Amino acid sequence: MQYSSQAVAKPYFIAAIGLFVGQILFGLIMGLQYVVGDFLFPAIPFNIARMVHTNLLIVWVLFGFMGAAYYLIPEEAEKELHSPLLAIVLFWTFLIAGVLTILGYLLMSYAKLAAFTGNSFLPTMGREFLEQPTITKIGIVIVALGFIYNVGMTVLQGRKTVVNLVLMTGLIGLAVMFLFSFYNPSNLVLDKYYWWWVVHLWVEGVWELILGSILAFVLIKITGVDREVIEKWLYVIIAMALITGIIGTGHHYYWIGTPEYWQWWGSVFSALEPLPFFLMTVFAFNMVNRRRREHPNKAATLWALGTAVMAFLGAGVWGFLHTLAPINYYTHGTQITAAHGHMAFYGAYVMIVLTIISYAMPLLRGRAANSNKAQVLEMWSFWLMSIAMVFITLFLTAAGILQVYLQRATDTPLAFMAVQEKVALFYWLRETAGLVFFIGLVIYLISFFVTGEQKLAVPAGATAMN
Amino acid sequence: MTQTIQEPFQVPGYTLAVLAESLYLINLLLLPGLTFIILLWLYVKHENHSPPLASCHLRQTLVASVWAGLLLILINGIIIAMGGYKAPYTWVIAILYFTTCHSLLVLLGILGLAKAMAGKLFRYPLIGPVELR
Repeated sequence: MQYSSQAVAKPYFIAAIGLFVGQILFGLIMGLQYVVGDFLFPAIPFNIARMVHTNLLIVWVLFGFMGAAYYLIPEEAEKELHSPLLAIVLFWTFLIAGVLTILGYLLMSYAKLAAFTGNSFLPTMGREFLEQPTITKIGIVIVALGFIYNVGMTVLQGRKTVVNLVLMTGLIGLAVMFLFSFYNPSNLVLDKYYWWWVVHLWVEGVWELILGSILAFVLIKITGVDREVIEKWLYVIIAMALITGIIGTGHHYYWIGTPEYWQWWGSVFSALEPLPFFLMTVFAFNMVNRRRREHPNKAATLWALGTAVMAFLGAGVWGFLHTLAPINYYTHGTQITAAHGHMAFYGAYVMIVLTIISYAMPLLRGRAANSNKAQVLEMWSFWLMSIAMVFITLFLTAAGILQVYLQRATDTPLAFMAVQEKVALFYWLRETAGLVFFIGLVIYLISFFVTGEQKLAVPAGATAMN
Repeated sequence: MTQTIQEPFQVPGYTLAVLAESLYLINLLLLPGLTFIILLWLYVKHENHSPPLASCHLRQTLVASVWAGLLLILINGIIIAMGGYKAPYTWVIAILYFTTCHSLLVLLGILGLAKAMAGKLFRYPLIGPVELR
């Protein structure tokens, strides 16, 4: 760790991991509810479990992004963070607001929560992924503004690199796009149209900039390849991400009441969306092949390469699988979407946060890398979670293909719930894979507490092997 | 004494190696068949008298492309022929098989391209010929 203020990243990473555990637990509960419908009913109904599962994911990934920014921006800017105190105040604000919101979901009915939090004054609740009470949304905006001010001032007063400028662009984009969650028109088509400006333009737009910059930062550190080479790759990747991703929003506009031309625009541009992920994979492997040093943190290298591969598969391949309008006509809203969502989120955003945590946490704890024993355990968790996620995706895809056939493609279509019974085997298999994922996560947690011979701490201004 | 680091593109055969890997990927992703013919033509023209890096990547990509054709067309044909066009599980197996197999072949191509761009030799796991030299 080169700057003492980078230490503010640590609580963000710890909170991210804690909420990650919560997300997976609710995923397991929900996975079981698919096949045992009254499991934990009425304490935790399916719709609540789903809301907690997806909201926790968003919140912990945001904690991870903020931790990543607090860690890498001072190092890139070559100066201390503008205000470490503000970072800590915002951390507690965000954590308390997040936990209270989740408790609100669990302890009272959603309607009562809406009334209790004054949703009627500015109604924004009741929409998938944006279920948070309006007051929580306002809190998120305040935290985001304070955060962007803090890291923005650090960049403005320090060295401007491509990595921190791309990261800043992504973070500002994240905050700006979230503002559309306050626009809640009564016209359902219009509502959905702008709802995607938050959801799609986050995950297939500005978040890709955040992903690219964090990956570039870690690769610079662990490979020792010239910054100029990595920065050129980063430019090309983010250009492709924005060129394809912005108009690619059209793949959500096929069947919501928008004009038909979106079927062409959406199909053509989103068919190109795998390109940035393809380039990212070539980039990551090329940089590791050209490395000029053997970094002692092997686990971070594995996470970085894994991020590129899994993002390419989940976001690229599984996205392409159902993105063309004539195919999406049949697959829309089936388990194929769920398969894509799981692997894309894990590959692109879960893994990039775990990559920066893997790289930065040992440094935040005063060593260049964890002991071999801890790293071996961490790599086990990598393989267990990643392979489990591959199987979750495959089982959900199988369920989705069967669902499409029985419910939509055949001459004698079955009703939704009749089809759900037919695909139950795949839900059981998915739940089993989910349990393996959870075991991987537990091993990941244990790896933080394993001691052994540790690599020496890196002196300020030096790199690990120099 | 100063030590100069050789850049990957300075390795003899670099361009041809990158071209071979790119053609392998284009054959899988964009223009199947036509790109394979170009790769075959490059192989026939250059394989015997090009630097080790280029001949290795030409040989590997050509054999891997043949395997890719067999794995993707032949096996899928067998799945559909055996299961029947109208059986739902035929489609479950065929789509899962094609997507997984195609993705793995593309990933191997990405690894090959990354190796070529780093000026290094590469052998496609399982489907690539063993390099004797």
